[in-house]
Amino acid sequence: MVDPGFALSVFGSLVAVGIVMFWPGGGIVGRVQRLVAIDERVRLEDAIKHIYTCQRASRRCSLESVAGRLAVSRARAASLLSQLTSMGLVHTPSGGPVLTSEGQRTALRIVRTHRMWERYLADRTGVPAGEWHDEAERVEHTLSAAQVDVLERRLGHPRWDPHGDPIPTAAGDMPPDPGFGLLDAEPGRTVEVVHLEDEPREIYDLLLEDGLSLGARLEVLERTDRMVRLRARGRSWTMDPITADNVTVRYLEAGEQADPSRATLLDAQSGQTVRVVNISRSCQGAQRRRLLDLGLVPGTEVTPELTSAGGDPVAYRIRDALIALRRSQASLVWIEPTDTAATQEAS
Amino acid sequence: MANLSPPAVGCAEHRTQSLVRLGLSPERWDILIALAGNPNVGKSTVFNALTGLRQHTGNWPGKTIVRAEGAFAHRGSRVKLVDLPGTYSLQAGSVDEEVARDFLLFGRPDVTVVVVDATRLERNLHLALQILNITDRVVVYLNLMDEARRHGIAIDATRLERQLGVPVVSGIARSKVGVDELLDAAHQVATGERPTTPFRAVRHTPAVEQAVATLSDVVRTTFPTVSSSRWVAERLLNVDEAVMTAVQSGELGHLGSQEETGKTENVSQMARERVLETAKRLQWDLPPDFHDTLTEQTYRASQRIAAESMTRGLKRAGFDFDRRLDQLLTSRWLGFPLMLVVLATVFWLTIEGANLPSSMLATLLIDTVHPLLTGLGETLQLPWWLSGLLFDGIYLATAWVVAVMLPPMAIFFPLFTLLEDFGYLPRVAFNLDSLFRRAGAHGKQALTMCMGFGCNAAGVVSTRIIDSPRERLISIITNNFSLCNGRWPTQILIASIFIGALAPAHLAGLVSAAAVVGIAVLGIGFMFVASWALSHTVLRGEATSFSLELPPYRPPQVLQTLYTSVIDRTLIVLWRAVVFAVPAGAVIWLISNITIGNASLAEHSVTWLDPLGLLIGLNGVIMLAYIVAIPANEIVIPTVLMLTVLTANIAGAGEGAGVMFELESEAATGDLLRAGGWTLLTAVSLMLFSLLHNPCSTTIYTIYKETRSARWTTIATLLPVAVGVVVCFVVTQVWRLLA
Repeated sequence: MVDPGFALSVFGSLVAVGIVMFWPGGGIVGRVQRLVAIDERVRLEDAIKHIYTCQRASRRCSLESVAGRLAVSRARAASLLSQLTSMGLVHTPSGGPVLTSEGQRTALRIVRTHRMWERYLADRTGVPAGEWHDEAERVEHTLSAAQVDVLERRLGHPRWDPHGDPIPTAAGDMPPDPGFGLLDAEPGRTVEVVHLEDEPREIYDLLLEDGLSLGARLEVLERTDRMVRLRARGRSWTMDPITADNVTVRYLEAGEQADPSRATLLDAQSGQTVRVVNISRSCQGAQRRRLLDLGLVPGTEVTPELTSAGGDPVAYRIRDALIALRRSQASLVWIEPTDTAATQEAS
Repeated sequence: MANLSPPAVGCAEHRTQSLVRLGLSPERWDILIALAGNPNVGKSTVFNALTGLRQHTGNWPGKTIVRAEGAFAHRGSRVKLVDLPGTYSLQAGSVDEEVARDFLLFGRPDVTVVVVDATRLERNLHLALQILNITDRVVVYLNLMDEARRHGIAIDATRLERQLGVPVVSGIARSKVGVDELLDAAHQVATGERPTTPFRAVRHTPAVEQAVATLSDVVRTTFPTVSSSRWVAERLLNVDEAVMTAVQSGELGHLGSQEETGKTENVSQMARERVLETAKRLQWDLPPDFHDTLTEQTYRASQRIAAESMTRGLKRAGFDFDRRLDQLLTSRWLGFPLMLVVLATVFWLTIEGANLPSSMLATLLIDTVHPLLTGLGETLQLPWWLSGLLFDGIYLATAWVVAVMLPPMAIFFPLFTLLEDFGYLPRVAFNLDSLFRRAGAHGKQALTMCMGFGCNAAGVVSTRIIDSPRERLISIITNNFSLCNGRWPTQILIASIFIGALAPAHLAGLVSAAAVVGIAVLGIGFMFVASWALSHTVLRGEATSFSLELPPYRPPQVLQTLYTSVIDRTLIVLWRAVVFAVPAGAVIWLISNITIGNASLAEHSVTWLDPLGLLIGLNGVIMLAYIVAIPANEIVIPTVLMLTVLTANIAGAGEGAGVMFELESEAATGDLLRAGGWTLLTAVSLMLFSLLHNPCSTTIYTIYKETRSARWTTIATLLPVAVGVVVCFVVTQVWRLLA
């Protein structure tokens, strides 16, 4: 019989090796795969994308900005740029590299793949919102144009990615980016968020934490060099310029109000009937359609009726049916008090 | 296809007078009726009332995923009835909804009966209006009028009929009220005797209205036969892939036309492309929340219609009862204890109640019929190998599976189904959801898990109640961690022989019972760990959406439940198990009787498997038994005993090579196993391995049928056995280290 101590130590070492090799995210196999994946083509495409983004924002980029964006040395960035120039994708007049029309097309194709994939992740999968961008960054280099066309058909020709950016068509048409930066908004005006930049991830997460989402309505109170002061949903807060730079907005007609102080279904007391105002924009895809079909459309009256023995989910009376929603779902439904409740409060 | 029971014989008293049942799936029919409705509105009850097929009706949202079909004759016409999955809507894109919608679109029913729950008119009209948009030929059946009356709700059917523009029949399907009227109305609509003017006035914002009008003009000119060009336009603008494909292929030209002769060539390729191009162009003018507003408008319309035809009284006794019961069953302090009591009672009844019939069946099939069959073989002078293969191999394996499997299932499934029909099980899912949520699973998995304690194959089928793809896969893959009926006897036998013996005699029963329960609880633990691991690794990206409806409590129909749960669940699962047991019996007999050199195949394999078995605390005999007994866990112990006698050359025991047997007394079984080299460690390892090994082949086959994916089937098969090998290995080595 095998000596148990020996058997266990062999087993233990196998497990340890397995963990080191295959641990999701940090395993050696994963790291090696990622290193191999960032090959020449990926670098070149990233460089094109960077130049394209600069041009889109009417900025000129430079050798330094390319090197910084790609996290490579200046010498490496220079060699990438010269390679792109020899491929006819970039030309370099004084003042920094510019895309040729061929380069423009290539850039649009990459952007199209990226945004289409984000749309796919939002609509058809359960991947959390914070991870869409990183996944798309990876996939944009691997899908062929034909595959993206198939994906487009499967998704039903979507026009916008989940962050509010237009998806270029196969022919390369794309409407101009809507709106302007939050930093440029006049104090005193009410604006609507039309785009949230998802990169860098840290700032995007900050914005999500701030409760910002597409379609949110904000009032710009004050603007200085060091901060923007905003008001929405009954509170005001300040945002530093770096964060604010990642928010694109458009002006609303005079008279439009910022989002009022709003409660979610989570705030409704048991037995208190409330009215649905809307479902948060951060809820998309199958999840959103399901909530809508259950009857949670604007104007629907909802009454929390029953809390499960575990505390979550809570069952709500929605259009005469008793439907259980998890807290995470209830927090996506904006509500307001019904008239009767309001008059009761007033009296 | 667990919902499709074989044609029931002799239930004529349950048909209404004008119906004559024809059979399950007639080749030809005169009228095709589709049955649609929200989940849990008694759709299946209507189906049964019409066909007498007695398809199982569940107090569960989303039971009928696979379409059920039935047939009968009515006023000289042959009628075929197709039961569609219950859905809240037709536009959210879940699998059931696609099945229902595609049938309405492409199955071209002559008339669609929409079953509507009278107590929840507004919610149900949401679906009815969507169906009215697709097809003209609709009859609305207002079901559960008795429940509505109890709740103080009165509905003016005539008024509703005027507003919807299609016949409305009110009734109570359970007691066959209004069923004949429904059939007459359906017949009239199907034959065109009674023209309809369906309600289609869902209004849009001006911008959207403009786009819809433009596109529907194009659709109308391209496909003149389509009954609702407006709906097609809406779906195209809402980028509905099925409709787009139908336009592209020209299949849409068939819609609305009842003749079989609709020709695809009628509409040119270019015209069809033009429709799609127009749709694509117009999409850019629509607001991004177009789908939202569409749903909102439909709900608004159904709210208005419901308000005009419905009056609510003050009498809400029914609601009060439901509410009070709900508060009790989901309360913080009583919810879990009550649940444990109910479920423990069900399991206790199953195990205790199955003892007697199981031993009677064993006496009959194994002790009486088997000798008779071998006697018959001798009389007919069959060659020894043929009679051995047929009677000792195939027959015995089948008999064993039936004797062990049938009684517990025939008790467990009806009990479980009664709880389900009453409406208690959704509350269990509700209470346990927070636990399952943390493991990335759905609360309803608590129920599929419980079902797995009866039979894993049935548990896998029952995962259909989970409508979120990711959570459903998790519950399919982890179902095998529920200790099924086929494994309980093994656990109980081994625990009483080896573990009960450790305790003083008067505590032996208690200790061994605790050991078995401990194993089952361990299985639940592994289920949670595996669910968590799956939802965070391979299943991370699968789409997920939670919804759980708590239907009103309804008194279960006891007799019908007994009948249908025996037919639907027990017999179908048993049949599958028997089909798989037959080859297993043959293989077991053959490997014991084919000899190479001076030992049988079985002996060779045992010697070969022994080192591996010893490494994980088992032995070659057990390993071989688990390999050949993949088809059914029930025959593991008989095979182990037979192989032990065969390989250890124990004289005076057993019935010969390849003949499975069990011994009357536990003591004798224990002696035999110890003679085969068994120790306490072997017993513990076997109990662990019996919990943690691959699903039986019936379950594997069922998993494949449910997932339609070789990948998930492989994962579901290999995951438990990998866990089992690792757990047994670690336990064994640590045990030996400490001993």
